[in-house]
Amino acid sequence: MEKTVKLTIDGKEVQSPEGMNLMDAAELAGIHIPNLCYLKGMKGIGACRLCLIEIEGLKAPMIACNTKVREGMVVNTKTEKVQEIRKFIIDLILSMHPLDCMTCTKAGICNLQKYAYEFDLKESSFTRKKFGYPVDEANPFIKRDPDYCILCGRCVRVCKEQGTNVLEFMGRGIGSKIVTANDKPLQESECTFCGSCVDSCPVNALLEADRWRKGREWEYERINSVCLLCGNGCEITVSTKDGRVQKISSGAPAGSAEKYICAYGRFGFDCIEAETRLTSPMKKIDGELRGTTWEDALKIVADELKKAGKDAGFISAAGILNEDALTLKKLARDVVKTRNFDTTVSLYADSDSLKKSQRADIDRSDLIFLLGLNPSQWERVLPALDAAVRRRINRGAKLVVINSSETRIADVATVSLKGDEISNIKGIIKVAIEKGLKADKKLESSVKDIESTEEIEKASALFIEAKQPIIFSSPALFEAASNLSLLKGKKVIAIPLESNARGVVLMGLTTEGKTYREMLTDKMKALYVVGEVPLNKRPDTDFLIVQNSHLTGLAREADVVLPSATFLESAGTITDFMGRMKYLPEVIEPQGESKSHRDIFILLAKIMGSTIKRPTEAEVKKASNIKVKLSPVPFVKKEGLDISPQEMIESINASVINGSRLLWLKETEKTIAV
Amino acid sequence: MKVEEIDVDEQIGEVGQILSEAEKKKGILIHVLQKIQEDNGYLPGDVLSNLSKKLYFPLSEIYSVASFYKQFHFKPRGKKIVKICMGTACYVRGAKEILNTVEERFNVKAGETTEDLAVTLETVGCIGCCGLAPVATVNDEVKGEISSKKLDRLIKFIKEE
Repeated sequence: MEKTVKLTIDGKEVQSPEGMNLMDAAELAGIHIPNLCYLKGMKGIGACRLCLIEIEGLKAPMIACNTKVREGMVVNTKTEKVQEIRKFIIDLILSMHPLDCMTCTKAGICNLQKYAYEFDLKESSFTRKKFGYPVDEANPFIKRDPDYCILCGRCVRVCKEQGTNVLEFMGRGIGSKIVTANDKPLQESECTFCGSCVDSCPVNALLEADRWRKGREWEYERINSVCLLCGNGCEITVSTKDGRVQKISSGAPAGSAEKYICAYGRFGFDCIEAETRLTSPMKKIDGELRGTTWEDALKIVADELKKAGKDAGFISAAGILNEDALTLKKLARDVVKTRNFDTTVSLYADSDSLKKSQRADIDRSDLIFLLGLNPSQWERVLPALDAAVRRRINRGAKLVVINSSETRIADVATVSLKGDEISNIKGIIKVAIEKGLKADKKLESSVKDIESTEEIEKASALFIEAKQPIIFSSPALFEAASNLSLLKGKKVIAIPLESNARGVVLMGLTTEGKTYREMLTDKMKALYVVGEVPLNKRPDTDFLIVQNSHLTGLAREADVVLPSATFLESAGTITDFMGRMKYLPEVIEPQGESKSHRDIFILLAKIMGSTIKRPTEAEVKKASNIKVKLSPVPFVKKEGLDISPQEMIESINASVINGSRLLWLKETEKTIAV
Repeated sequence: MKVEEIDVDEQIGEVGQILSEAEKKKGILIHVLQKIQEDNGYLPGDVLSNLSKKLYFPLSEIYSVASFYKQFHFKPRGKKIVKICMGTACYVRGAKEILNTVEERFNVKAGETTEDLAVTLETVGCIGCCGLAPVATVNDEVKGEISSKKLDRLIKFIKEE
């Protein structure tokens, strides 16, 4: 248990963990201390001076964001003196701020507006100063309007802490401005367009570029959900109006540095209404896809599946929901009666490593291992992992990168071990055992013939010192990672490339017959493809059914195309890589006639003369509830799982990228790289 | 100084023993920027880019640090750097007129450099020799008590190779 201290804030007795700052402690007690520059989760910098509070026994007011709680402290947050100071500060800021709240996009969530109202300031009592800075509107994602900027530095700190380092202060005093290096447009500054700066901006200086007159903030309905575009499965908050998605933000409270989402998650939602979006079923007539009714399309599919029977194959993406996976398995195994049903998981992971992954809190770890993983915000391969690791390093944790290939994250590692991953891990284990960590005899003997190097010694020393080490590994190297974790902590996690990889495995959607790859080459009598899979050309099959939200290259070559809902249009659950169940509500209704995957499976089963019941939450929970125990296993690097993560993630998101502003980003990145 | 050849430990010296790698890089930054400016007359963008790569130090932060100080320049500077004092004493003794004349003769505004990179014209707050007002400096050489006659000589002096 953490130690706690007792103090009094505004006459209220508060218990707070030792070492917490007064800002957070007051928040715990339900007392809000005004602030413009504080970011929850980050050290306070005391730039805005709004959080000044009075502590009994001290003459001068103190800043709450950077003053730690002490036993017996008596704090007053609303004395006349500090209120007067706060009003003065807001008055000063207003003198340099455009007062156009009536049409300002951020009206309603602007902190400056809130405090101006609170302190009864209609207009500044000082002479107005206008800067007339140029606006950066050269990209379709983030608009920068420095005239609104209050120089709180939140964006700078968020950007820096996650390791992107795009925004910085330039100049000094009244002439300070927040700019990119050499004041270049964002796209020329290695900006990844994650939009963390937009979430952190308390005013209208940074905002989504497409927001002008797309609804006021108070008209939006905010719905918490999960992004399913890659293996990180990040929490998102979706703002909707009139049944349409208006913006997506990270799923953390505003003014917090705790969560990250990437450009795909934040700006990919345009694809819901893309030209390639499927809104009705289609069938191939004389070599051309034509629209048809659900009844007709499903009848054709049912006949073909019946004909194919045990020679039918089902392949699915692992970005589908647990409920979809359960229903798909029932359709394949019980209705069509085939044993061939597999997912894209088999391209990059084995089910064991996913099932055995543990839970851990990266924000509490003091040592992180990245084994065979190459997360990158710039290539958008598990970008949230990259951001979380870099943030953790900036807060004092150590990083060990073990990878036989070059990685960008190794630049910030304490120790980077190149060369064969397995020998490196064995070396670390060997040294750790020699230095006194207890281990199983079998494990000890399996590492004894490894030669250690200076770098391995260093990595091992870090491991021995660490209180809460976490080991993230690629699924192919999970066994080695798990052996290391047995020495200390048992926090070992394999990271898949798709959001619900662990879920579909738990739901039992792993083949009992042919694998994903085999079904592509073995000439199935009928092949049923669910979701966006990394396939552009029609595999050799007699009959191809594609069920997806968008008309992909593969769908164009299908015999029947069934329109499915996107993840924002369908309710259900996923099980993320740490085994946490996450809930997705139906944020908006499915476009046109598109339906959720499971509804399509259920209808199809009905036409084939069987009934599949809608899976219940209990059923999903039962399937997820497995007991795993880690024990020493042979060190092997699993073969056949070495698909390029970047290519995989790009190809499972092809419709999202090609059907949204992200296409601009891809093309711009290509031109700049040349 | 070649950016590619910077040795962080050598630059930071003995104090490096008690600093972390990140602190050492921060520690030598201004020193290195001064050397780059000494060699080039200003801070060229490509050199700063290389410096950022060499030190694994964010380019945005390099610009941030450099832009804080007035001594660092991001654009090429003229061969002759003319600073005209606008301090109170110089001002009342006709500094404005001197400035206007120099601006006119060299077709350059204060704070700018002529296209042929011959002259950079700047104004300064006070040079510290108000007794000689009005004062100007040309490449650190002080020219005082600039009367209209002396002004012509000053202009000639600036024009000299």
